[in-house]
Amino acid sequence: MKELNPLEKMQRVQAPLGFERRVLAELAVRKEKNVRRRRTWRFSLAGATAIVLVGFITLNVFVLKKQTPAVISGLDKRVSLPQARESMPSKMFQRQAPADTIPIIEPVDYSGEVRSTSQEPRTIYILEQVTEAANTKIIY
Amino acid sequence: MSMDEQELVSRLQEGDETAFAQIMNTYKDRIVNYLFQFTGDYQKAVELSQETFLRVYFRADKYKPIAPFSSWIYAIASNLAKTEMKKVRKLAQVSLEDVANDLDAGTYSLDSTDSGLIKNLREALNSLHPRYRIPVVLKDMEGFSQEEIAQILKRPVGTVKARISRGRGYLKKKLEKALSENSFAKTSQEKAHERA
Repeated sequence: MKELNPLEKMQRVQAPLGFERRVLAELAVRKEKNVRRRRTWRFSLAGATAIVLVGFITLNVFVLKKQTPAVISGLDKRVSLPQARESMPSKMFQRQAPADTIPIIEPVDYSGEVRSTSQEPRTIYILEQVTEAANTKIIY
Repeated sequence: MSMDEQELVSRLQEGDETAFAQIMNTYKDRIVNYLFQFTGDYQKAVELSQETFLRVYFRADKYKPIAPFSSWIYAIASNLAKTEMKKVRKLAQVSLEDVANDLDAGTYSLDSTDSGLIKNLREALNSLHPRYRIPVVLKDMEGFSQEEIAQILKRPVGTVKARISRGRGYLKKKLEKALSENSFAKTSQEKAHERA
């Protein structure tokens, strides 16, 4: 049995005349606006990127001057050892050193120190005790 | 979705305005009517319908043919109408029922030859909370299935069923009340006539 539906009798309204024309006109306006907005966004983004780049270059070239390793480490200030010891971890300064430190920075090439063992013949070391005495040091 | 409509939709997704006009021609009356039932304001319904179709055009690429195209359009219209109702409620700081009852706000003139039943129905429908009104209108006026309504409202089918049932129950109660009041008024008028 079909249920009685009083809502079917309800008055239905329709779209007004010229509805489509109005929507299409609004569509054209919105399209134009979207194009303009996209263009504005592109330019703003490019501008912002350029500003950031210029700022970065200016900061590096004019504001932040180049510093040598000695300046960065603070050795150029001729800090006396007791002062340095106070400011730095104590384990770093175990030995007594002269009051003034002259920093010597030289490049060290370790490439000659490291040898490849694969090319050399294998050496077998046989370690043997050479003394019978029990309480003497073992000499190899 | 029919083959023609499928083709229209794919043309719309490519930005074809002729296809858009055809789609609009198919759905404009249904959407305006639906939004009128939702808001109770004809002018507002027309404005929201325009916005609905504009969104359909600009977001056509987001439509996936897993659901009927009509459901997708109704979902856009429903979301727009809900947002509008929220805005109105926030601005005016009045209850949703008061807004919905303000039928005179629209420019659409209600038919003065409305029978008592239709008048009562409209009043009852407008006093119904949108939560129940939307599924009832979609089901009983627009002819959607419960599954389709669930897709449009993004709610489980069970919830939709319950809301339709409650909405109908509320409408029935309202109509019965109005009917008894009318009959009471009629009999008292007749009695007064007899006395005179």
